[in-house]
Amino acid sequence: MNKPSTQQAIFVYTLLGIALIVFLTPIYLIASSSVKPSPIMFQRPPAMLFEPTFEHYRDLFAMRPFGKFIMNSLVVALGSTAFSVFFGSIAAYAISRIKHKRMNDIAFWILSMRMFPPIAVVVPYYIIFKTAGLLDTPLALIIVYSTANIPLTVWLMKGFFDEVPSALEEAAAVDGHGLISIFWRVTLPLAAPGLAVSAVFCFIFSWNEFLFALMLTGSEAQTATVAVMSFWSSDAVQWGRIMAGSFVILIPGVVFVLTCQRWLVRGLTMGSVK
Amino acid sequence: MAYIRKRNRRIFMTFLLPAMLVLFLTTIYPMLYAGYLSFRSYDLAKPFVPRMFVGWANYQQVLTSGDFLNALSITFQLMVITLSIQLVVGVGLALLVTQRLPGMGVARTLLLIPMMISPVIVGLVWLFLYFPELGYLNYFLSFVGIDPIPWITSPNWALWAIAIADIWQWTPFIMMGTAAALTSLSPEPYEAARIDGNTRWQVFRHVTLPQLKPVLVSLLFLRAIDAFKIYDIIFVLTKGGPGDSTEVLSLYIYRQSFTFWQMGVGAAASFVSLIIIVVLITLFFKSLNRDQTA
Repeated sequence: MNKPSTQQAIFVYTLLGIALIVFLTPIYLIASSSVKPSPIMFQRPPAMLFEPTFEHYRDLFAMRPFGKFIMNSLVVALGSTAFSVFFGSIAAYAISRIKHKRMNDIAFWILSMRMFPPIAVVVPYYIIFKTAGLLDTPLALIIVYSTANIPLTVWLMKGFFDEVPSALEEAAAVDGHGLISIFWRVTLPLAAPGLAVSAVFCFIFSWNEFLFALMLTGSEAQTATVAVMSFWSSDAVQWGRIMAGSFVILIPGVVFVLTCQRWLVRGLTMGSVK
Repeated sequence: MAYIRKRNRRIFMTFLLPAMLVLFLTTIYPMLYAGYLSFRSYDLAKPFVPRMFVGWANYQQVLTSGDFLNALSITFQLMVITLSIQLVVGVGLALLVTQRLPGMGVARTLLLIPMMISPVIVGLVWLFLYFPELGYLNYFLSFVGIDPIPWITSPNWALWAIAIADIWQWTPFIMMGTAAALTSLSPEPYEAARIDGNTRWQVFRHVTLPQLKPVLVSLLFLRAIDAFKIYDIIFVLTKGGPGDSTEVLSLYIYRQSFTFWQMGVGAAASFVSLIIIVVLITLFFKSLNRDQTA
C-alpha cells in the first residue's frame, strides 16, 4: 500500500475525527456528568466549563454502601480470576501437549461453553443455588463466572503454551525433572505474559457482568453493576450518582484497552483472525 | 517430546479433568436440569404444588404463543440491523486506521474503548442521551435539522435506540478484527492491481474483499452469537417495552421465569434458544475450519 496523498490524508483524518467524536462522546459525558452540579446536568448547550463538584461521589459512597458493592465486585472478580486461571491453564497445558485427534474436539467443546446463552441456565442456577443456600453469596458468582472464564483461559493459554519450544522441556526432562517440575519451572515462566492477559480478561468479564449478578444476589453480595442501577427510579433519576458509579465501573476496562490493546484481538476474536 | 508425553499421560489427565468437571457441572448439568424442568409444571409462586410431568405442554405453549414468536422475530430483526451496520462501518473504519499516516495507532486504540465497557454502563449512558425531554441526543440532532425523536417511548423507535447502543459498543470489534486481518494480507496482489490501472474501489472490491471474506464471516458469526444473547442493554433502556416492541428472547425467558414464575415455560423457551445457539456455534467453528483449508 502506498503512502496516501495529502488530499487523501485530509479525507482519512476528517472521517476518523467524526468517528472519534461519535465513539468517545458518551464516555466524555459519563466523566463530565459525574462531576457536574445537578442543576446544570442537562443545560443547553452542555456546560463545558464549570466548577467540578464531587458531591455525586460523596453521595455515592455515603448514602448507599457503594464501597461495599465495589468490594463485592472485587472479591467476585479476583476469586473467579484466580480459580479460572489456575484450572484453565493446567487444562490448556494438557490440551497443548497431548497429541490425540479427540483433543481438538475437547478444545472446541470447552471453547463453545463460553458462547452459551446465560439466560438459558439462569433458571436452573437460581434453583440449584437456592437449594444449596448459596443465593446472595460471592461464591455463587465466582462459580458461575468461571463457566465463561475457564474456556477463555484455556483458549488463550493453549496459544501461549504452543509457542514454548519443546527443546527446552526435553532438556529439562533429560536433566531428570518430572512433568510438574518442568511445567512449573520451565513452561509456565515462559508463558507468563499469557497468564497476565488471561487474568485481566477474566477480571474485566467478571467485573462488567450484570445478568447473573442481578438474578443471583440480593442486598448482601450485590455487585457494583447491579448497585448502580438502583439509583434509577421512576420518580427521580439520580443522574449524578449514576454517572459517578458508572465512571468508577468503567475504569478497569478503559485502562485495559489503553495498556493491552494488542491482546484484544487474540482474546476476543476466538481464532477468527489468524 | 514424545518421551515426555508417554510417561506422563496420567498427569496430563489430572490437569485436564478439573476444568472439564467444572464446565460439566456449571453448564451441561444445568442444561440437563433445564431440560427436566421443561417437561414439568413448575410454578415458583406455588411452592407446595407437586411438579407434575406435563409432557410437551410447555413446548406447545411456547411454540404456539404469539409472545414467543414475537420475541424470536425481534431478536432476529435486531441481529440483522446491528450486524449489517457494524459490518459496513467496522470495515470502513478498519480501512481508515490501517492507512500509513501518523496517529493511526492512537485512533485505533481509542476506538476500541467501547468494547470493554460493561453493557449496563453502555445502557445507562445511552439512556442519558435518549432520555425524554432532557437527553442530549435530540439536541445534537437538531443541529442537522432532525426533529426530536421519541427514542425509548415509541414502539417504532425503541428497537433502533437499542440497535444504536449495540452498534456503538460493537462496531469497534469488527474494526479491530478487520484491521488485524488487513495488516496481515500480502501486498503483491495490490501492487499488481494498481499497476493494471484499477480504481481504489475496484481494488477493494476485487482484491481486498475476497481475501477478507473468511475472516469477516467468522467475525459476523461471533457477533450473531452475542446478538442472540443480548440482554443488559435492553434491560436498562426499555425492559422490553414499550408494549413488547423490544422484548427479545432473553427478556421473554426472564419474564416467564421471574415475573410469572413459570419456570417450566421459561426452561422450554431456553431449550429452544439453546438449539438455535448450537447451530450458530457450529457454523462459527465450521467457518474457522474453512479458512484453515482455503
